[in-house]
Amino acid sequence: MSSSFRRITTISKKELVEFARDWRTIFALLIIPLLMFPLLFIIFPLLLASEAAELDAIEVNVVIQSNDFPSDLAEQLNGSGIELNYEPLSIENNLSSPLEDGDRLRNGSIDAVLRMKENGSVWDYALLYMSTSERSQEARTRTLTVLFDWEENETERRLVDAGLDPDETLRPLNWDGEFSDSDVATSGEQAGMVLSLFIPLVLSVWTFSSAIQPSIDMTAGERERGTLEALLGLPCSRNELLFGKWLAVATITGIGVLLQLVGLLFAIGYLATTDFLTVPTLSIASIVFIGIAVLLFAIMVVAFELALAMRAHSVKEAGSILGPALLLILFPALFTQVINLDGIETFWFSIPVVNVLLALRELLMDRFVVEHIVTWIISSGIYAMAAALYAARQFKREDIVTSLS
Amino acid sequence: MTVELLRVEGVTKSFGHIEALTNVSLTINEGEIVGLVGSNGAGKTTLLRLLAGVYTPTDGAVVLSDGSKVEDARHRLGVVPESTGLYSRLTAWENIRYHSRLYGTSDEESWNRTVFFADRLDMKESLGRHTKGFSRGMRQKTALLRALAHAPDILLLDEPTAGLDVTSARTVRSLVHQLGETGGTVVYSTHQLAEAEAVCSRIIIIHNGEVRADGTPAGLLEQTESRNLEEAYVSLTTDKARTRVVSDKPLSKIAKWWQKLSTPKIPGGDESE
Repeated sequence: MSSSFRRITTISKKELVEFARDWRTIFALLIIPLLMFPLLFIIFPLLLASEAAELDAIEVNVVIQSNDFPSDLAEQLNGSGIELNYEPLSIENNLSSPLEDGDRLRNGSIDAVLRMKENGSVWDYALLYMSTSERSQEARTRTLTVLFDWEENETERRLVDAGLDPDETLRPLNWDGEFSDSDVATSGEQAGMVLSLFIPLVLSVWTFSSAIQPSIDMTAGERERGTLEALLGLPCSRNELLFGKWLAVATITGIGVLLQLVGLLFAIGYLATTDFLTVPTLSIASIVFIGIAVLLFAIMVVAFELALAMRAHSVKEAGSILGPALLLILFPALFTQVINLDGIETFWFSIPVVNVLLALRELLMDRFVVEHIVTWIISSGIYAMAAALYAARQFKREDIVTSLS
Repeated sequence: MTVELLRVEGVTKSFGHIEALTNVSLTINEGEIVGLVGSNGAGKTTLLRLLAGVYTPTDGAVVLSDGSKVEDARHRLGVVPESTGLYSRLTAWENIRYHSRLYGTSDEESWNRTVFFADRLDMKESLGRHTKGFSRGMRQKTALLRALAHAPDILLLDEPTAGLDVTSARTVRSLVHQLGETGGTVVYSTHQLAEAEAVCSRIIIIHNGEVRADGTPAGLLEQTESRNLEEAYVSLTTDKARTRVVSDKPLSKIAKWWQKLSTPKIPGGDESE
């Protein structure tokens, strides 16, 4: 082992030991990413299901305002968890106008008002509710479901009375066979398509955001605490110092991203058992290229963050620079979600940040376009090198020895 | 026989338009305890950083006896900066070992030297403790142990007793004395004349970035025809001391505007300023 490499690993190990001794940063940068997706995809839907079940169990209160309400419709509504209260209809025109019923809906004494009146051969109706109340929303949903069922039966009855076949009349266009058989994309490919819309976003944002705290701590933090001066007097070059610190930040970020992916795969594995989403089909080559893309991206991002943090005189100053810098990743990441990959021009794969995100999207869909791969690898390599050179320049500045404190 | 260890040759150090040191020349010889004395902002820390290879001279050179530049021979130096520079989440020994490893010294060798000196500084029992709860004195002693663990040829100490209680300061001075007696070479920066007189065999007075005097305490008294070092110092530094050099980096227009906007005016101050 060369003495230079030994010094780099010594610096890196020390940074990792210091990092590991702070349980708060371990929690923020390692435990949270591990639990984020399982919580989002497993616990959150369970919570939603439990809330929905709770809502299903309640009986909602709907006031029927009509002078000639159809008895069969009343029967159907009765069997739908709706408590009905009948009142005469006192309004002639514009049934949607709330009038004094608005106050009753607002104070929660009733959940919805169904107004109905016969108008020749059709029924005019309006359903009053309050969109900001869950009970009122539920009352509206249940009432509308029954109303649409009743309307369908009524339509069919009228067609039969007129001597027509309801199926032929209402559905002259008929799908033949199983609808799902018609898509040639496998369920694994479909899963890849779905995941390609948010995995690049998550990977890029997390890589950048999880590197912020260690980057600041190892540069502006050292400068502020006065430990950097002692370090700069040691027989190691500024480049060795940079690479040692880069290795430590990249390791922390890499582990964080890896744990996040483990959490994501666990969540996907769980969802696969519920038929919501299947495990995406990825070839070995895709996985290898995804690894290269993330690695090049991490080299660039971590070097860039270390450079920016080293420019700052204090932790506070570094935080106020690196926090907003997250937008440099977030905006391109959101933008690439809407870019259509079919027939995409090659130049997109040379734009910083966008190139890696698009590459990840293509690879997650198991698409290999040699021209694209060559472009993003070369451009990402150049950007990573440029970021490393910029960081090396910052580390060679003489004023980094001084601190505001 | 005097053996020269380190030589400063006409060194000038500028930060932008500000000259922190002007044409400084001196030599550090083996076995000397050299005191760098000066007021705050005189240039002591800048000179120490130049000696440590942290700063590069704007003009001139800092070379070792074999002709090598100091930045290429930092393994021969031990440095204790004013801030001590200890990592609070590491133990005292881990702090020492970290630097020793970067100096290329084996753990065994640095442990043996650390234990030897820790005994003299009454720090042996604290080597396994995290430095977070350390007093200023313990931090200073740990930084000293760290600087000594790789057996440096020259020890550079920046204000080693600043902020220490009487007992700790005495212990540090006593160790420096012992190092001198055993042939060690120490450059000791301080703004306390009495301390320099008590510890150092040679005193260099720096004022406004210039070396105003360089010699033994007795030699300085003779040179200035003074009764004590305080008188000698005053006679050598009659011009007004400048303020500490921080940075002359000009503020941008936005920064100037914001600074003015966010700084309250002194009641009754000149509005036109």
